[in-house]
Amino acid sequence: METDEGTFPLSPEQARAALADTDHIRTSVSAISATPWPLWFVTAITAMLFVTPIALGGVMAEPGDWLMPQWVWLTGLLSAEAVFYALFAVAAKRWRETTGVALRFDVLPKAATLPLCVVLPVIVVGSGFVFRETGEPLWLYAASALGAALSIGFHLWFVRLHGKTA
Amino acid sequence: MAGFDATIHAPNRLRICALLDTAGEAEFGVVQEQLGVSPSVLSKHVTVLMDAGYVEQRKAVRDTRRRVWLSLTREGREAYRAHLAALRAIVGP
Repeated sequence: METDEGTFPLSPEQARAALADTDHIRTSVSAISATPWPLWFVTAITAMLFVTPIALGGVMAEPGDWLMPQWVWLTGLLSAEAVFYALFAVAAKRWRETTGVALRFDVLPKAATLPLCVVLPVIVVGSGFVFRETGEPLWLYAASALGAALSIGFHLWFVRLHGKTA
Repeated sequence: MAGFDATIHAPNRLRICALLDTAGEAEFGVVQEQLGVSPSVLSKHVTVLMDAGYVEQRKAVRDTRRRVWLSLTREGREAYRAHLAALRAIVGP
């Protein structure tokens, strides 16, 4: 059992070693926090990102309906969101139990979290607005394809990151 | 030295605080694995930190087995960060 005696005053070298120790632990825990989601949930995220721009386009379509009545698009979109968040709750619980750490996004590399938090919503909502202005559904399909590709790309990146640092 | 905390500074306790500060909350087994110490040694250090009001525990059941999750209290997080600041001050610019 460690005692507290003789720990102070510290030399700069001792303090530096203690800080390096905490850095080592932080790196190690960050690797655990980068544990990728299971494949079934990656599939759910990818499907969600593929469906959302198209459904949102249907909700935002002007003038009138696009392919289906707007209320059908809205019901479909909200139902898909509800299913997704239910799946997220299950996946998050299992992820915590498997990794043994809390689910935190702030310890992940900013290069991954910033695009997810900023770029994706801009693509999804932006394509809906462009579709409403132009009536061209290709914008929605492009946003769907991009969202799905980003989801798969980030998953593969996390698999690599986790494998490299674990 | 302001912020220096002798309770936290003991190497394994500093590691526990660093781990919990990063992870937010961690299962006892994960902390033990990361530190490479026995359950009894970890338990003793956790008790010291809990007595100081720096760490709290939550019990949860998984697969019929009881698991203990550890996290820093707000006081513990502040003390740990103040301790890190004190260490950085000792190291200097």
